[in-house]
Amino acid sequence: MELTVFLTLTTATFFTALAFVARSTRRTIHFLTLQATALGFVELMYYFVYFMEGMHFQALIEFFAAFAEWFSAAVVNPLIIYWGARKIEDIVGGLIKMDDVQDQHVIGTRSAVILMGALTISHLLLGIHTYYLIPKKLEALPFISIMFSISVLIMVSSGNPLKILVGLNMAENALFPLLAKIPLSLIPFMLVLMVLVNIVGVFVVTEAYREYGTLSVSKWRGMD
Amino acid sequence: MYSLLPLLTLIVPFYIGILCLFTHISWFLESFFKKIEKASLIFATTITLLIAVSMVPDVLAGQTLEIPHLSLRVDLTNIAGVLGVVLIFFLTSIYNVKAEKGGRLKPSLYNFFVLLFLVCMLGLLYSHDLFGVFLFVELTIGVSIILVAHAPNRISPEAAFKYLIITAFSALFVLLGVLTIFVLTGNSNILAIVENPDHLLENSRLLLMVVACFVVGLGADIGLVPFHGWAPDVFPASTPIVNGFFCAEPIAFILALYKLVHPFYIIYDSPMILWLMVGVGLASMIFGVLMAYPQADFMRMMAYISIEGFGHMVFTLGLFTPLSFVAGQLYLVNGALMKTGIILSLGSVFITSGTYNMGSLGGLVKKMDKTALVYIICALSLTGIPPLSGFYAKWLIFNAVYDFLLSYGVIASVLALISLIIISMVSFVYLVRSFHRIFLGLLPENLKNACEVHWTMWLPTLVLAAIAILVGIQPNLILGMIRSP
Repeated sequence: MELTVFLTLTTATFFTALAFVARSTRRTIHFLTLQATALGFVELMYYFVYFMEGMHFQALIEFFAAFAEWFSAAVVNPLIIYWGARKIEDIVGGLIKMDDVQDQHVIGTRSAVILMGALTISHLLLGIHTYYLIPKKLEALPFISIMFSISVLIMVSSGNPLKILVGLNMAENALFPLLAKIPLSLIPFMLVLMVLVNIVGVFVVTEAYREYGTLSVSKWRGMD
Repeated sequence: MYSLLPLLTLIVPFYIGILCLFTHISWFLESFFKKIEKASLIFATTITLLIAVSMVPDVLAGQTLEIPHLSLRVDLTNIAGVLGVVLIFFLTSIYNVKAEKGGRLKPSLYNFFVLLFLVCMLGLLYSHDLFGVFLFVELTIGVSIILVAHAPNRISPEAAFKYLIITAFSALFVLLGVLTIFVLTGNSNILAIVENPDHLLENSRLLLMVVACFVVGLGADIGLVPFHGWAPDVFPASTPIVNGFFCAEPIAFILALYKLVHPFYIIYDSPMILWLMVGVGLASMIFGVLMAYPQADFMRMMAYISIEGFGHMVFTLGLFTPLSFVAGQLYLVNGALMKTGIILSLGSVFITSGTYNMGSLGGLVKKMDKTALVYIICALSLTGIPPLSGFYAKWLIFNAVYDFLLSYGVIASVLALISLIIISMVSFVYLVRSFHRIFLGLLPENLKNACEVHWTMWLPTLVLAAIAILVGIQPNLILGMIRSP
């Protein structure tokens, strides 16, 4: 694996881990943007250099496709969730500020840190063990796996539906190193679908807030 | 044979859906649309049904209708599923005329999403491209969540959110599997991958991971144990009509799962792949049947009955023998049709009584004789009572399982058969018991004025009951349209 790719993937994994410990919804959304930015960085730079060198139409299209993927993951999707948070603030007439809401994790901080440590070590061991088994084309798989696992932790440990949506997006972004290899013609469809899932998610969360008046998923059940 | 008919069945409902959406944007068309909102849905599903039926003669003659550059194809492996899906949509859209009373979505949006849902189901059945399957899976998830959230009750947002998280997350497993195969082979056409499997054989362990991703990913979308968490909440939270449309979902999803797993079993026939499918199927069967029995809410009971049914289907298809494919698909199509009959009948009961609780019901046979008749016929067919259609499906499943397990010894075969018969008997008991609790016994005071629902609601269900009898007498009506790949 090239050093730049390794560093980028490590940085993205670090941001994913930070999102797990972040308390406020806004901060978690920031880490989503940073994770996606880091993940898209190498690919974007690669296509940019390719375009600058060749200056031909195919390179331009490939650069735009990479840019669209990056823009969707790092800007559009976080903005949709952010817009959802703002909409909920509007529902209560600004009485709640998302920045002030400090969510408590379902699991305690110490347990979370131990869990993260165990997860990182197990993935490191798995990565070393499978180093010669995984084909070169799939060398990013251990990183994908760890980011995916941390995203699952974000989803299961948070009671805030918007944070759960952020976790879902982070899991989706974890597949970015593989997604970059898909045929150009499929990219628009993929992007539209990913944006659609977020819009649907925000729609459902705002409807749920309107119905139950709380952003705690565990409290929704009792209010049925 | 190059044919545009499969594409036409996707385009027609999609464009009519877009037209409905256009009236949502144009305020001046809204009043006009109100007059035709129900009719437009019936029109779209009728045209789609007619186009689907027009494909049957060519397919029965052994032709494969395909559009190679889009990897869409219809042949004897999926035509029964296509007809099943389109028929369910057609009958449910008739039921929709009087049953749909409005919800969170405007009628134009509701129509658009229902028709988009039909497009997704057909696309999943036709597509032989890995990315095509993933795109339709993801789109189905988005659309079905919106349809769940449409229900104007308190529980629907919570159920929709749960459904969204479980299924959208599981779709990522499908994507991971698809991307791994694409990166390894540089190809996404399933048939082309099977023809040139060298790259995959070099990485057989990764192939097992990919198959596990497909089973987890699509298993959660189908509602298989242990990924079924959303199903018992989504059934009572959705409107009866949406539940009716959802009955078509397992046909598309389970055949898509088979389409994704079977080729890799051909390439690398590991027993792990087989036991993964069979294990998940068996767990769903046992869990579903045990959980359905104590339910008081009939829609939750239907959720567990569905899980049990999905278990039967995946268990049988997962044996990967030609007979198991025919038996599994017959059970799949028949099961979906019968479940539609039961759910729409229960929907009529809910619309009349306003409750899902079987404890508050009883004696409705005197007031809703047609609904009661359809319910018992479809329930008996689903449990496999002769001479109804479900009997042949179960009989073929028993044969397929017995034949397959003979290589493991006669005792294994007999034990498996006994287990399957016990599961069928338990499902027979709770379905008959539910009939007794809803339709027989004393009529509660608050239901004294109850009456049979409008003909547009009982007629579609009666058609389904007639299918149960007809296919029971002449099973070749469906069997003739199924051939192992």
